[in-house]
Amino acid sequence: MKGLKLWRTFQEGAKNYTRNGWLTVATVVVMTLSLFIVSMTMILGITTNLILDNLKDKINISVSFDQEVPEDSILSIKQSLEKYKEVASVTYISRDQALEDFIKMSDNNPAIMQALDEIGENPLLASLTIKAHTPDQYDIIAQALAQSTFKDDIANVNYEQNKTAIENLNGIGAVTREVGLVLGIIFISISFLITLNTIRINMHSRRSEFEIMRLVGASNTYVRMPSVFEGILYGLTAAAVTLIFLLVSLQALSPLTKGVIDNGSLLDYYTGNFLQISLSVILLGVILGALGGAVAVRKYMKV
Amino acid sequence: MIRFENVSKVYPDDVVVLQDVDLSIEAGEFISLVGQSGAGKSTLLKLIYAEEEPTNGEVYINDRAISAIKRKHLPFLRRNIGTVFQDFKLFSQKTVFENVAYALEVYGKTNEEIQDEVPQILDIVGLSGKANKYPKQLSGGEQQRVSMARALIRDPKIIIADEPTGNLDPIATADIINLLLEINKLGTTVVLATHNKSIVDGLGRRVVTLDNGRITRDEQNGKYML
Repeated sequence: MKGLKLWRTFQEGAKNYTRNGWLTVATVVVMTLSLFIVSMTMILGITTNLILDNLKDKINISVSFDQEVPEDSILSIKQSLEKYKEVASVTYISRDQALEDFIKMSDNNPAIMQALDEIGENPLLASLTIKAHTPDQYDIIAQALAQSTFKDDIANVNYEQNKTAIENLNGIGAVTREVGLVLGIIFISISFLITLNTIRINMHSRRSEFEIMRLVGASNTYVRMPSVFEGILYGLTAAAVTLIFLLVSLQALSPLTKGVIDNGSLLDYYTGNFLQISLSVILLGVILGALGGAVAVRKYMKV
Repeated sequence: MIRFENVSKVYPDDVVVLQDVDLSIEAGEFISLVGQSGAGKSTLLKLIYAEEEPTNGEVYINDRAISAIKRKHLPFLRRNIGTVFQDFKLFSQKTVFENVAYALEVYGKTNEEIQDEVPQILDIVGLSGKANKYPKQLSGGEQQRVSMARALIRDPKIIIADEPTGNLDPIATADIINLLLEINKLGTTVVLATHNKSIVDGLGRRVVTLDNGRITRDEQNGKYML
């Protein structure tokens, strides 16, 4: 009998969903906007983090050595640097390698080629490229280099030029995380309130029905469940529409992010994580709808 | 069957609607409740089907105090009380059949039982051919008969009728009153609140007169007098 009643309340909810025409459309539109804003905030937050991670990956300190320093001692310095726990990797770039890279980078520009010819010998220095685990460790590494035993062999450390960029990036990373979190919470709260209100208005326009239900002897659960199911159906529809909207808008935004993110584009991120994204959106929609429906009928249940 | 003991009802802002009401209604009675608008008739009825709680005093149904019934058990009380109102209170989005069936659905009757019982009751109130119509496709008298059918289908011990004929023409009015008399003949207690003098005088049954929240007259075989 419990199952039969539950099934009936579901049927009631489904009928309300299909019979209420414009009210259904309006509720779904509002819920879709809410879900869209929330998921867009989250996706953009995640993307920003991916972009930052990508940029951080490109940060390094380059230490170039005087011409007289032999390759052997540079390699032993490399080994000693690799022992620091802050250091993730050290790459040795020989003078010949540096020249090759330089020529490649200049695209065989005749003016540069001519200049190199005139100098007659390789003007570039051998260097070590050091990567840290996190951007805030570069400061420590730079200080260690300045106080090291081989500090006299060093021709140049490019840390000072990069320092502000590194610091900015650290700052941006922290700020975006906090702002993203705050915005996410604000958007979710606003969406919840708006959705709740819309469902309430929807229910309010049929308040006389709740009175009839009571008079005829419907229990609280029997009065409430149709609204909960109705809310869930709103949530499911809104989630489906939201996923389509996300696909379209991320497709439009994708060209802007090509190359900035390691693994392709925003769209790739969406399709790659479609299962998680769609499950979260659907879950959020269902929770919003069910809660909205349950709370909205509360005031009509004075039994 | 129904007993009011020293019942008062005061709405917020000290609006006194009922004052020291003592009233006893026996099983099988047909009682008319008369009085001017605002005399407290509807409130008195609402106390019976537990839509309102008394401020003071106690209402008993079958010697059981309503205040002693747990709130979540009130629906069970209401299932034994059929209610009929001036504005019919039908689901506008449901057909005649669905409106009546709802009263059975809420307490878990099977679809077979519903398919069996609803046509019978529609036949009794004379709406056999209208099962698939929506309320707005019916006349006022027909709509009231739907609401009667819904009240009757659970075979209630008590029928509460609050101005059931207020929106009906004289012929439909006579129909509804006759239906109430028929139900009463089968043993159901009927409490009828009305403004209609000719109905009350024609019934020749017990009449209780309310004035400003007090019972001023209570006569067997009474007349409509304010």
